[in-house]
Formats: sequence, C-alpha cells, structure tokens
Amino acid sequence: MSGDSRKFRGTQQALGAPRRLSGSSTGTESANWFARLWLNYKKNKAIYWMVLPVVLYFLVFKYLPMYGAIIAFKDYTVGKGIWGSEWVGFQHFRDFFESYYFWRILKNTLVLSFYQLLFGFPAPILLALLLNELRHEMFKRTVQTVSYIPHFISIVVICGMVVDFSARGGLFNSIITFFGGTDSSLLSDPSNFRTLYTASSIWQELGFSTIIYLAALSGINPELYDASRVDGASRLRQVWHITLPGILPMIMILLILRIGGLMEIGFEKIILLYNPNVYDTADVISTFVYRKGISEGAEFSYTTAVGLFQSVVNFILLLGANRLSKVLSDNKLF
Amino acid sequence: MRRHGLLGTALLLGLTALAGCSGGGSEAEGQSSDGTDPISIWASLNTNVSITLKSMNEITAIQEWEKATGIQTEFQHPAVGAENEQFNVMLASSELPDVMFVYGDYAKLYNDGSIIRLNELIDEHAPNLKKILDENPEVAKQLKADNGDIYAIPHLRLGEYKTFGGTFIRQDWLDELGLEKPETLDEWETVLKAFKESKGVSAPLLYGAPPKMTTMGPAAANFLEAYGVTNTVFLKDGKVVYGPIEPEYKQFLDMFHRWYDEGLIDPDFATNDQKTYDAKILDSQAGAFFTYIGGGIGRYLPALQETDPDADLTPVQFPVRNKGEEPMFTGRSWEWSGAGATITKSNKQPEETVKALDYFFGEEGHMLKNFGVEGETYTMVDGYPTYTAEILENPDGLSVVQAMAKHFIANYPFVGEDDDRYNEQYYQLQQQKDAVELFSKYSENTLEVSIPPISLTTEESNEYSKIMNDITTYRDEMFIKFVVGAEPIENFDKFVEQIKKFNVDRAVEIQQDAVDRYNAR
Repeated sequence: MSGDSRKFRGTQQALGAPRRLSGSSTGTESANWFARLWLNYKKNKAIYWMVLPVVLYFLVFKYLPMYGAIIAFKDYTVGKGIWGSEWVGFQHFRDFFESYYFWRILKNTLVLSFYQLLFGFPAPILLALLLNELRHEMFKRTVQTVSYIPHFISIVVICGMVVDFSARGGLFNSIITFFGGTDSSLLSDPSNFRTLYTASSIWQELGFSTIIYLAALSGINPELYDASRVDGASRLRQVWHITLPGILPMIMILLILRIGGLMEIGFEKIILLYNPNVYDTADVISTFVYRKGISEGAEFSYTTAVGLFQSVVNFILLLGANRLSKVLSDNKLF
Repeated sequence: MRRHGLLGTALLLGLTALAGCSGGGSEAEGQSSDGTDPISIWASLNTNVSITLKSMNEITAIQEWEKATGIQTEFQHPAVGAENEQFNVMLASSELPDVMFVYGDYAKLYNDGSIIRLNELIDEHAPNLKKILDENPEVAKQLKADNGDIYAIPHLRLGEYKTFGGTFIRQDWLDELGLEKPETLDEWETVLKAFKESKGVSAPLLYGAPPKMTTMGPAAANFLEAYGVTNTVFLKDGKVVYGPIEPEYKQFLDMFHRWYDEGLIDPDFATNDQKTYDAKILDSQAGAFFTYIGGGIGRYLPALQETDPDADLTPVQFPVRNKGEEPMFTGRSWEWSGAGATITKSNKQPEETVKALDYFFGEEGHMLKNFGVEGETYTMVDGYPTYTAEILENPDGLSVVQAMAKHFIANYPFVGEDDDRYNEQYYQLQQQKDAVELFSKYSENTLEVSIPPISLTTEESNEYSKIMNDITTYRDEMFIKFVVGAEPIENFDKFVEQIKKFNVDRAVEIQQDAVDRYNAR
C-alpha cells in the first residue's frame, strides 16, 4: 500500500536518512538501512527502549490477531482449528453480498454514520465558537463543565435513560402529550430510531468534544484580533476570517479521523437501544455480526468476513479522506 | 494455550472488535487437571440460586456430592443474559472446562471435537444410568444419536410431570364480570374485550419477551397453536413442516392484528423485558399471560395478593379454534429434557467424572438432588420424603423455590432424574396444583406434533442453522409488522415467498431426514 511505503520513508527520515523518491530497495540498501539503524540505536539507546513497549503492544494486540482474520476465507470449525479448516475462498463474502440483509445493514450503517457526521461533527465547533465569544469566565467554565459531564456517564446508563424516557409514560412522552401528542413507545417506531440515536450521541459528546477546539482556539494569536478590530471588523467577521481559519487544521484532522471510522458505528449503543421492531433502521453491520456470530448463531467465518468487509471499506474511506484533505487544505495524517 | 488465546483475540478482532464480550468466563485459566485437581464445570447459574448464592459450589447438595464421591468441583458461571455469547466465545477459544452443562446441538459439539463420546464410559463407570437406559428403551432412543453415540449425561423426566407452563388468567376479574373461562379463540376475544372495557387495563393479553427474549413469547405461540401450527418446524401428519408458511399462520396474524388494533394485546409486546413484563402483571395491567407454574405463579400470586387480597390467578386450558377440539401443543417435555452434562476433550479424568455424575442416578444421589439432606431439608414420613420447614416455610423468608435452590437442584435441568414427589410438594398453592393437572391433560397429543430429540450431522447442522438464522430474524420482524399493521396482511404471500427464498424447503428436508433416521433407530 502506498500508505505503508510512505510511512517507511517517514521512518527513514526520522532516522536521519536521505529522502528517496523511488521505493525500490536492493539487498545492499536494506543492509545499509540496518547498519544505520544499529548506529542510531547505539546513539539513542534509551529512546529505543522506551518505544519498545508501544511497538510490542501494537504487535501483540493489533497485528498478531489479524492472523485470525483468515477464517473469513475458510469454513472454520472449532475442532479443526484455524489452519485445519477448509479454504472456501470468497464464499462467505459472496453469501453476504447476496444476503437479504446486505443492503439494509449497509444502508443503515452509512446513514447512521452520515447523520453522526452531519449533525454531530459541527455541533462541538459551534459550541466552541460560542464559548470562545463569552467574556464572563465563571459562566463560561460552568457551561463547559455542565456540558461535558454526560461524557463521563457510562453508555449503559445513558441508553437506560433513553429507553426509559422514550417508553410509554416516560419523560419524552410526558412532554409530547403535554403538547397534545399521543403517548407511544418511541423506540418501537423505526422512524424515530435515527433521531434518538444521533441526538443522544450529540448530547453526550458535545461538551467533551469542544475541549480540543477550545485548546486550538487559545493558540490563535490575539494580535490578529486586535488588528482586525482596528480595521473595523465585526465579531462575525472576526470569527469568519480569524477564528475559523485558525482552527481549520484541527477541524480537518478530526474530520479525517471521523471519516476513517465512518462505518464503525458503536455497536454497544445500538444493541442497548434497539429491538426487533426497529431493525429496519437500526440494524448495522456490527450489530448484525454480533447477533450472527456470537449471540444467536455461531457463524464465526461468515461474520468474520462481514467484519473484514467493514474494515476494508473503512480503510478505503480513510485513505480517501486523507487525500481529499491534502488537496483541500494541505493537511494530512500520513 | 497461547495460540488459542490469540485465536480468541483474533476472533474478537475479526468480528469487528466486539470489546467487552469476553469478560468473565475464563476463570479456569491456568488450571490444568492432573488427577487431583478439581473438576471444572461450566453451567449457567439459575436465578433462584443467584438470589442467595454466588456459585453452585455453595449448594448443599453439591457439597454433599463432593463428599460422597470424593471429587472436587469448581463451577464456572457465565454472566446472566450473556450465556450464549460466552458459550460461543468459550468454544471458539478452545479453552474448555472439564464438564459443560448444555442444552443443544450435542452432535455438532462432538463433530467439532469439543466433547467426547460417552458410550464406553457409561458402560463401565455409570452403572446406575446404564440400568435406567436398559430399562427404558424409549429414553435410550432419545438420548442416542443416529449412530448410537451418547454425548451427554442426561437430565431425565420419567415421572408424571412433563408440562411446566401455560396461560393464567385473572380469575377475580372473570368472576366480577360474570364470565366463564375462555376455551375457544372467540371466547377469548370476548373475555379480553371485557377486560379492556370494564377494567380499562393496558394489556388484557400480555405476552412478549420472557422467558426467551423473543417477540414471539410463549403466550402468543399458544394462540397461534390453537390453529394447529406453531412458529417453527413441527410434525403435521408425521411430516415435517414449517409453521409460519402454513395458511393457518395467516389466519392467526389476521386475528392478532385485529386484537392489536382493538387494544386487546399488550402494545409494547416487542419491547418487553423481564422487568416490564413483571411490572405489568404486578400492577394489575395484565389480564392473562403465559408463565411457569412453579417459578412464575409461585412468585406472582403471593406478590399480587399482598397489594390486592382479592386477586387470583387460575390456569386456563390451551386455547382451541372450535368448541370440543383438543389442543395439540402443550409444551410437554420429552423424557430426556434435552439438557445434560458433556465431558470435554480437555477433561483429564473422564472416568472419575462420569462415575461422579452417575452418583445422581443412584438411590442416594437421587434423593440428594431432589430433596437434599435428610433431617435438614426433608424427613421421611411413612416412606414419603417430606420437606421440612427450612424449605416450605423458610426462616429467612425465602420462597419455596429459592429455598430449594439453595439446598438442592430440583427446579432446573441438572444431571439426574426428576422426582414426582418433589413436584407434588413444590406446587404448594391450589392454583398450581390445578394448573399442573389442566396443562398435562392433553399432553400426549403433543407427541404427535413435536419433533423428537433428533440429531443432525455437522454439515446438516451448519446448513440448517445458517438457513434458520436468517429465517428466524425475518419471521420475528415480520410478525411484529403484521401485528402492528406496518405490513398489510395482503403481503403474506410475499412473506412466504421470501422464506422460501431463504431455502426453507432445504431446512425442512434436513429435519425430515433426521426424523426418519430417528424413527428408524
């Protein structure tokens, strides 16, 4: 992958190697590379030892387990083990693409993610901008604290609250009936699920996500504001021409990260909120994998294939977003 | 070991990193059996036990069992509600305990190499069980796979009591409204309407989640079964058919949709959990519902009467379509309940294990399992084991079922044979005694329609579960849609067509082959 070779070159640079434009590597070149690594190691022993645990962590917990992903291409049975099971090629992928539920869970995954991005991403930026304009320190801090407290409540508790509030006779229903609506079980209606899901996510994460933007805001040179005020710029103008450009790199990086995880809808939250009534809009890839793979059936190979499909799409999205960001703002992750 | 640990992690990663699911359940790690080590036993912890005890090791009967057989046991319990997940993850990780109490596809477990075959071990080390199997060929037939293999030390019900649940109704409301107990579906409709209109309750007929958390809770199934079909595969004139694609299923949906529209059934049926289900019963919002005679009525009735002394719950016969018809589906258990203990391939001392488990089929073990310790939990009165006050009027305020669960293992599947004399005393309330008689009245009919304990080959089992997995999800979803009216009943044909597309015919064929093989045993 191009991303990998780029990373490779990055390492070389960090080790003080000259930048090479072509990725061709010969025997002597790699020998040189090791020799240089060794020299560098001798020079900076402590740093290498410090980084070792992190490297090990990634190897053991992130890379080695990928070995198990090959069961996606096999008919895995416990008795035969990973290697002993028969190869079936792309059979499980084909089964999935032809499955009755394929389009539905793909659509739900994308739509829910898209909603999260569309409504969830700008919300903390707006709040950060608003907070930034506040001049009363006490008030600002109070708002900030109050708004990020929900982040620290367990997702299980949050979902329990949402379920109770939207049940017949719950808080939401009390409000709805007060304004003349009818009392109904909100979470049994497929058309409500996306709204409840997205809104509760925003509510929970809004405050906490602003912290990073506020940090970026504080890095903007105040002289720019002074200068613009001298030039007679209004508050809105200042936001548009100074504040937003100032935090744009941060926005872009967070956006790339978000897009990379676009398909990765948190399955815990959906599992806690959904019921067979609303599978129509609520069932996503990860919940499907969970049900078929672990809780209802034990179709390990099939669900691994489905999970792998999701990871591949994620990876492509991440690369795409990175490229796009480079084109648009010359910011990139790698 | 290390490799398997990796495999476990790998699976989790592959399954999109389902973090948190594998927590717990691996307490056996680092413990290798070498003859003197305790036998590790994986079993789900019954809720009546978990009220007073943390582990089945603390049950009096288990401790006595260890003393009598000279073994040491170490129970491992999955988290309540996550039994399936943890069982599957445990299998996938290949880190197995010595014994697993399961209820399910034994042949698959054997073919996967997780458990071992027990025929020789039973012949040599389980004289008591062997005697029972020799004396009851019907039981042996149920227990054995097609090729004669035995994979489980079974939980048996050889006595009279084989039906444990059914529909109960608020008798006090019937009396107040001057109504008779309903028998046919039409009479049910009248009664439910009266409950709705005169009592103003939200769920004249409550059903839904428990005990299996599916939308098609047992009460709904009972009304479906009045039409002579059920919600999965069953025998129709000796042939296997799949209930939901039969025309009778459409008639049932039609009726249930009407009942839903008229508010006769619980509007929240699809989202009920045990908590809301219980709450509706105890708040007198439910007029009729399915529950178990022992664990259900034994709990609901006293609690109801505490707030409303006039409240009364009585059993109703399984509904039928026309007067004079006999119900076919009564939930009658087979002699082998389907539950049993399996010996895993990791077990280093299978002979000792089988010998120890066989203890429960002997006279002493049988009494221990069903009645506990003589002098403590029962005394012999004219040759009849009678429970003491410790069980029937527990000084710590435990209910009968809870007190039993603390001392012995009679209320839920375990190795050994259920004793009728336990059931006779377990059902203390008159309503319970009536219920057991009423519900078992037609239980012989059930043998004609239910699929016997067949066994599938690995290939069959994989194919069958794959097909049925899709179908079951679809059926449950569509059931809800048809009932609430999100899908008009006219689309029933499309529903049938889609199930056929899922290849239900192949699933039925697999079952039919297995039934044929069973009959030929």
